[in-house]
Amino acid sequence: MNTKKLLFVTQFEELWFDALQSLMDLRKAGFNHVVFLHVIERDKVAMRRGKGYLKDEEVKLREIANVRFIDWAESLFEQGMEVGAYIVVGNVLPKIVSTVEEEKVDLVVTGRHKRGKIQELYAGSETVEILRRTSTPVLVYKYMLPSGKINEKPFEQPLIALDWSDSTDRIVSYMLNFKEIIRKVVVVHVASDKELKGPSAMEIQAIRKANRQKLEEVCERFQKEGIDAEPHLYIGSTCEQLEKAAQEREVTMIVAGATGQSKLKEFFLGNVARNLAENSAFPTLLIPVQMKA
Amino acid sequence: MSKKILTVDDDPDIIVFVKTVLEENGYEPLIARNGESGLIMARAEKPSLILLDVLMPKQSGIRMYRELKSDPELKDIPVIILSGIAKRTFLRSQEALTEFGDEPVPDPSAYIEKPVDPGELAETIARFVK
Repeated sequence: MNTKKLLFVTQFEELWFDALQSLMDLRKAGFNHVVFLHVIERDKVAMRRGKGYLKDEEVKLREIANVRFIDWAESLFEQGMEVGAYIVVGNVLPKIVSTVEEEKVDLVVTGRHKRGKIQELYAGSETVEILRRTSTPVLVYKYMLPSGKINEKPFEQPLIALDWSDSTDRIVSYMLNFKEIIRKVVVVHVASDKELKGPSAMEIQAIRKANRQKLEEVCERFQKEGIDAEPHLYIGSTCEQLEKAAQEREVTMIVAGATGQSKLKEFFLGNVARNLAENSAFPTLLIPVQMKA
Repeated sequence: MSKKILTVDDDPDIIVFVKTVLEENGYEPLIARNGESGLIMARAEKPSLILLDVLMPKQSGIRMYRELKSDPELKDIPVIILSGIAKRTFLRSQEALTEFGDEPVPDPSAYIEKPVDPGELAETIARFVK
């Protein structure tokens, strides 16, 4: 099995070593190389009137991050993992993008970074931007589940959200890479109210039946690989219903495809991937429209 | 002709420090910023000694050390580990890789935990480069 690389982006706010340690099950799926990235945001060390560039502050922040990374790296090295680290000054998004390219990572793990509405209008959502600019799956990780339990095995019971777009097959194929660590998948399609506004009950039943059949076909693909799978059809607003399904089915993360909407369209119409990344109480694994080769 | 010493480290301050120590002691410093380029440089330049950090981008010193010691042309080059990572961790990680099926490798010639005094660094290098 090829060694796969995971980029762990931490600002030492949401994501600490215990969160990283809970992802170590990924070794069974071939992930043997962890790269740490900490970005010292420019405004923390920027030029100040009468003080100039705060070099001493930069050195202090670098050393704090370095001490933490050395401690984390020691634990991972002793488990036979390969580890690398970057501590850089700049803006988070471009630094993530450049590190993904430099290290050729297979999965980005990051905390929730929410931008203001105005900033988003110009720059878009940070998570969606990473997906758009790197074509690499992003796990927006939350270590604590809404139940208050620690998420010890996030890949154990994922909810896979499918909208029957072109990305369906890619999402299923991608998730099958994790078959060693998935115990059960909950496959969900959310039909909108509008979709069910047919003239008769028969038509609505036909829509239900068609969706149900597609869900069962997906479940069969997982079952063939020895993974337990259950199909569910929800009706209503996509993000709201996915969140509800995740809670009801006690899943460990939500998996969804990320579409390539323009920044403007995404801003006005909303985007499921963005909403999940920023608002879901569950870890969210987002799979880009076009995966890197 | 002065002896070539290869330093593999990603920290710019350490690179300046080590380069100064090496030049003051009559060695020719070679610099690589990660294990991947360090290995390429070691193969191309065949230095008399390698100073190797552990936690670096692209390829760690742990993997680079293993590759050096598994390469018949490079395995006899003395390697001094100069790192913030504890020696105990370095040795345990090598044991862990051996347990996962790789060949066992010998211990490094010397292990210095950062920070290091210039005199100590020069003395340690001199023990292996005649």
